[in-house]
Amino acid sequence: MVDEESLRVVRCGGSELNFRRAVFSADSKYIFCVSGDFVKVYSTATEECVHILHGHRNLVTGIQLNPNNHLQLYSCSFDGTIKLWDYTDGILIKTFTVGCKLHGLFTVSRSEDSVFVIINKEKPDIFQLVSVKLPKSSSQEIEAKELSIVLDYVNQSPKCIAFANEYVAAVRDFYLSVYFFKKKTTSRFTLSSSRNKKHSKNNFTCVACHPKEDCIASGHMDGKIRLWRNFNDDKKYTYTCLHWHHDMVMDLAFSVTGTSLLSGGRESVLVEWRDSTEKNKEFLPRLGATIEHISVSPAGDLFCTSHSDNKIIVIHRNLEASAVIQGLVKDRSIFTGLMIDPRTKALVLNGKPGHLQFYSLQSDKQLYNLDIIQQEYINDYGLIQIELTKAAFGCFGNWLATVEQRQEKETELELQMKLWLFSKKTQGFILNTKINMPHEDHITALCFCNAEKSEQPTLVTASKDGHFKVWILTDDSDIYKKAVGWTCDFVGSYHKYQATNCCFSEDGSLLAVSFEEIVTIWDSETWELRCTFCQRAGKIRHLCFGRLTCSKYLLGATENGILCCWNLLSCALEWSAKLNVRVMEPDPNSENIAAVSQSSVGSDLFIFKPSEPRPLYIQKNISREEVQWGVFVPRDVPESFTSEAYQWLNRSQFYFLTKSQSLLTFSTKSPEEKLTPTSKQLLAEESLPTTPFYFILGKHRQQQDEKSNETSENELVQLPLTENIPAINELLHTPAHVLPPASFLCSMFVNSLLLSIETKSAEEIPEDIDMEEEKESDDSDEENDFSEKIQDTNDPDLGEDIIHQLSKAEEKELRKFRKVDYSWIAAL
Amino acid sequence: MGEFKVHRVRFFNYVPSGIRCVAYNNQSNRLAVSRTDGTVEIYNLSANYFQEKFFPGHESRATEALCWAAGQRLFSAGLNGEIIEYDLQALNIKYAVDAFGGPIWSMTASPSGSQLLVGCEDGSVKLFQITPDKIQFERNFDRQKSRILSLSWHPSGTHIAAGSIDYINVFDVKSGSTIRKMIVDRQCMGVSKRKCIVWGVAFLSDGTIISADSSGKVQFWDSATGTLVKSHLIANADVHSIAVADQEDSFVVGTAEGTIFHFQLVPVTSNSNEKQWVRTKPFQHHTHDVRAVAHSPTALISGGTDTHLVIRPLMEKVEVKNYDAALRKITFPHRRLISCSKKRQLLLFQFAHHLELWRLGSTVATGTVEAMCLLAVSPDGNWLAASGTSAGVHVYNIKQLKLHCTVPAYNFPVTALAIAPDTNNLVIAHSDQQVFEYSIPDKQYTEWSRAVQKQGFHYLWLQRDTPITHISFHPKRPMHILLHDAYMFCIIDKSLPLPSDKTLLYNPLPPMNESDVVRRRTAHAFKISKIYKPLLFLDLLDERTLVAVERPLDDIIAQLPPPIKKKKFGT
Repeated sequence: MVDEESLRVVRCGGSELNFRRAVFSADSKYIFCVSGDFVKVYSTATEECVHILHGHRNLVTGIQLNPNNHLQLYSCSFDGTIKLWDYTDGILIKTFTVGCKLHGLFTVSRSEDSVFVIINKEKPDIFQLVSVKLPKSSSQEIEAKELSIVLDYVNQSPKCIAFANEYVAAVRDFYLSVYFFKKKTTSRFTLSSSRNKKHSKNNFTCVACHPKEDCIASGHMDGKIRLWRNFNDDKKYTYTCLHWHHDMVMDLAFSVTGTSLLSGGRESVLVEWRDSTEKNKEFLPRLGATIEHISVSPAGDLFCTSHSDNKIIVIHRNLEASAVIQGLVKDRSIFTGLMIDPRTKALVLNGKPGHLQFYSLQSDKQLYNLDIIQQEYINDYGLIQIELTKAAFGCFGNWLATVEQRQEKETELELQMKLWLFSKKTQGFILNTKINMPHEDHITALCFCNAEKSEQPTLVTASKDGHFKVWILTDDSDIYKKAVGWTCDFVGSYHKYQATNCCFSEDGSLLAVSFEEIVTIWDSETWELRCTFCQRAGKIRHLCFGRLTCSKYLLGATENGILCCWNLLSCALEWSAKLNVRVMEPDPNSENIAAVSQSSVGSDLFIFKPSEPRPLYIQKNISREEVQWGVFVPRDVPESFTSEAYQWLNRSQFYFLTKSQSLLTFSTKSPEEKLTPTSKQLLAEESLPTTPFYFILGKHRQQQDEKSNETSENELVQLPLTENIPAINELLHTPAHVLPPASFLCSMFVNSLLLSIETKSAEEIPEDIDMEEEKESDDSDEENDFSEKIQDTNDPDLGEDIIHQLSKAEEKELRKFRKVDYSWIAAL
Repeated sequence: MGEFKVHRVRFFNYVPSGIRCVAYNNQSNRLAVSRTDGTVEIYNLSANYFQEKFFPGHESRATEALCWAAGQRLFSAGLNGEIIEYDLQALNIKYAVDAFGGPIWSMTASPSGSQLLVGCEDGSVKLFQITPDKIQFERNFDRQKSRILSLSWHPSGTHIAAGSIDYINVFDVKSGSTIRKMIVDRQCMGVSKRKCIVWGVAFLSDGTIISADSSGKVQFWDSATGTLVKSHLIANADVHSIAVADQEDSFVVGTAEGTIFHFQLVPVTSNSNEKQWVRTKPFQHHTHDVRAVAHSPTALISGGTDTHLVIRPLMEKVEVKNYDAALRKITFPHRRLISCSKKRQLLLFQFAHHLELWRLGSTVATGTVEAMCLLAVSPDGNWLAASGTSAGVHVYNIKQLKLHCTVPAYNFPVTALAIAPDTNNLVIAHSDQQVFEYSIPDKQYTEWSRAVQKQGFHYLWLQRDTPITHISFHPKRPMHILLHDAYMFCIIDKSLPLPSDKTLLYNPLPPMNESDVVRRRTAHAFKISKIYKPLLFLDLLDERTLVAVERPLDDIIAQLPPPIKKKKFGT
């Protein structure tokens, strides 16, 4: 890779885990869930992501275990393909191209060579359930064009279709259709849909089939569950009602034996109906968020629920939650913006209602939730909730300031500011000070003085009531304990204008506060007004100081689309540009400032230094929708882009969040490189379970190694050890279903047994050992494999990295010689 | 149609008694209903659910059990310890036999209909032989410790299940001895109640016993082994009653919460013979306890303390979706309880055990009456029309005291009769809502009646579910007939054309002025008003004054004991 590829916008994790029902592996060890364009494989015991199955080029919409081989997984996607995976090794086995958008996937154990998918062919709202015949072929890419319609006019969501052995049930609006495979007939049962109060919410929402009996469970908008029986008779059909949910039933699932039915909805309570009777039910309450999907493991020992806050909870048969897989919470609108926790380098933003979430960008999972509002969340429409509106980190992550507000009426504003101290003991934030009504009106900005020299933590809040307040940490000790607390130190205002923004300079000596169109500069020692800038170009929307060499500049972006840069030394406008800035973020590690502008066609990114009005880098059309927030995330290991355009990415990476809450970033790598074949092999080797069988075999192998070493000293001609022949290794370690035909392997196998010329074996053996080496240095390498998606660490071209890599390669080479050459010399 | 001054009477303080027992007779498709005051009513389900017979009750004869036996014979038993047989022809009590076992709680007839079994307070089960004109005590079964509250025969007639307090007994009929005793769990929702009363048992032909008890359970027992097979907890209060369909593929239970539950035997999978009992639909048509249920081949029938008799048809059993497939709720008797003296402006109210005579504003006297058939006297005093329980109407000449003629018989019973002044036309209303006009002097149907029969009534008219209880005439307008049922009153103007099925029957807009051509064209013979409901009586006092007697349902419910309190979500 000599040429640097062009910079692309890539989705970086945080995709929905709750888009479809999760699927358990047959032994309940793994749980699969769709996640954007990928399928993720999690361990149910450790909650860790074991594999990510890459390959689809669009949103994955359905996954099912292969009913004929429970070690394989089918997946379907909007890109029109069905892919068959070996999930234990994370290998793509086959791709079946169907050619139209697939919305859901179902498999039935009875029909071996066909699967069922939901497609929409003609009109956008008409969906069909079709069966797809998967042709048997040895090639990897197969066209599957043999479609036959099973049910027409079905619901788009796969929750509304359920398969049993003899029939398939589908619901939509007010009717239930049942298609019988044997009779090839469809029965339709319609519920009353009149507009009167009693029946107005009769709509079907989901359906499930009993695994043993002829019984269909359907969920409804009004919270009822109906159990349909006798439906093979159009006249004698009958149903029972179960009613506990007060709101729509989101999903239903029968246990494996069919003795109990699970249901969930907006109440966030998993209900288990035993023997499908109304009085005999068990609850698992307080699951945190609306239950979107429920699935049951084929072994019957685990359930799992997917929640609207992007969470999967694995639940034991006895209704005890055992594991939580939490992705980026994207349930609600983001008020706090994107922040970086200086300690964990985690992305911090609004999470669950009333919480701040700490989300690790590297591992794509939530680290933890901080409950800010600390009140029971009551989920109801039309209820005005307390919103967490602002948050800021200060003093290198020691302090966290949060603002929450609730406004029922125009005049009744409830406002609270909380200050949290990081406790090293508990490794978490502890509430230190709670300030009721810190301002008379909404707080518009919040910033800490992050200067290194400042001995006293300082916080500034700006508010619409026309004031900005300076809060300092003071001694709050009394006779009982030593304590510190925050008090207001200074209140500033400027001509009763609303304060809209505030910002400290890098060294903390100056404070800039914008009052609508005017920017005021205050001395942070004495709180005196130093000077004012006014451009008369609309209210200031963003304000920030330059950094490092550009610290003499102050930047402001206005609502009228003007970006101004003032020189603080000359107190004059340095330059201004016409740019409708939506997001302006300074890079903490360099002078660079990123600005995202919004136009009618999309959003553009500009990277510039305050010292010069010419941007360093422009990327047009980074997103079609509005970019709401952005942040620079410092890299752990600096990159080494040489080209001037990409140098801004060397020390930090820019993440941004669009209006539809997709978290995006910039990358130069193509997605194919992210997972190299060697790493796949490596994972396959490592994932071998440590069974008793393995111990016996493994020990045996070690002994053999030793023995062979001994014998080799005595014998003149050494036969190559079977373990060391790559062809045999490959033969033994490659899963059988991906092996080429035996005829092809035979010659290779025989060749490998022949005594080879030394040079040739020397070529092959090191490769093999290389693999083993990497296996030994497991931890660090594996982590790298995952982080590779985000960071271009092993870009082999330039910079410090190359030295590092060379030395590593050399080391390996040396080790190879050390191992290999012994036998050689002995043989001679 | 004209305008009237209306006396809107709401002081008729009539409260029907709660329903205690319901017995369905499959052969004649009739339903016997007994109320807590001892009244027994017989409904003809074929004749549009018309209440055709009526036995007034007495306080000393509180019925606890009611059953049909030996074909068409009706027996009842009560807490006074007597078994009563009713004479369905003469409409009186044929005889009463004391069972000598204290108050009788339960009674059931054998599948063959030749034997009668009663369960008594003292724990005895007594078998009676039914002879053609009486019943005769045959034997006692093994005496139990506590009262026998429910009884059921095995369809083969060899065994009996008896529900008592805390246990169910299975008797062998031949030996009269207990062969199984099944103890019922007292626990109810984890709380141990003092006693568990088995209110109902049903013995199925495969040996399964279904029990309904006071802790809200419906349980299935295997009588061969005496073990509990399955238990359904369906209510927080008592399950009072159970009734099984003849095919034994469905049964119904009624609970003290006013809900009735339908259970059905459905195949587990479509291609296996294994079947299981599944609770299917709950129906909440009652506000109070459901004391009695019955299962006809096409409907679930229930009655309780709230005095309604509810007939809920089973949709899957109904062949044609006609008007019979609709839910029926019968609250008021299908008789006229009120008479009116036009000249003296008096109202006579008939109660269960007394009469009240009201002059507008003052009450006068009380007395006692007996049950009576439908009679109508012509205003000139020449003619008397009488209708018995069979469908025919006889017209007598009072002057000569002899039968003048007989109106041709019609399939459905007569619900109301009246003879018009001047013309001496007899107007007859039947339970299928047909109205005939018969000219007594000419001994034939009038021209108008023939025209009506030729064209047929409007389909909505035929779908009305309460019978016409009263017919009267306008003194000045001979072409008008006034009639009413519980939910509407109607003036039939014989001079106007009859409505066809396409025209609006319930025409709420009479022609406002002469120029309104459209309304005039749509005007038809039936002028219907629904402003008074439930309407028990309506008559003309004079040519410009109407009297209407209403009995709002809320007033009745207010006088009933309070129902079981149930927590309702969101309140």
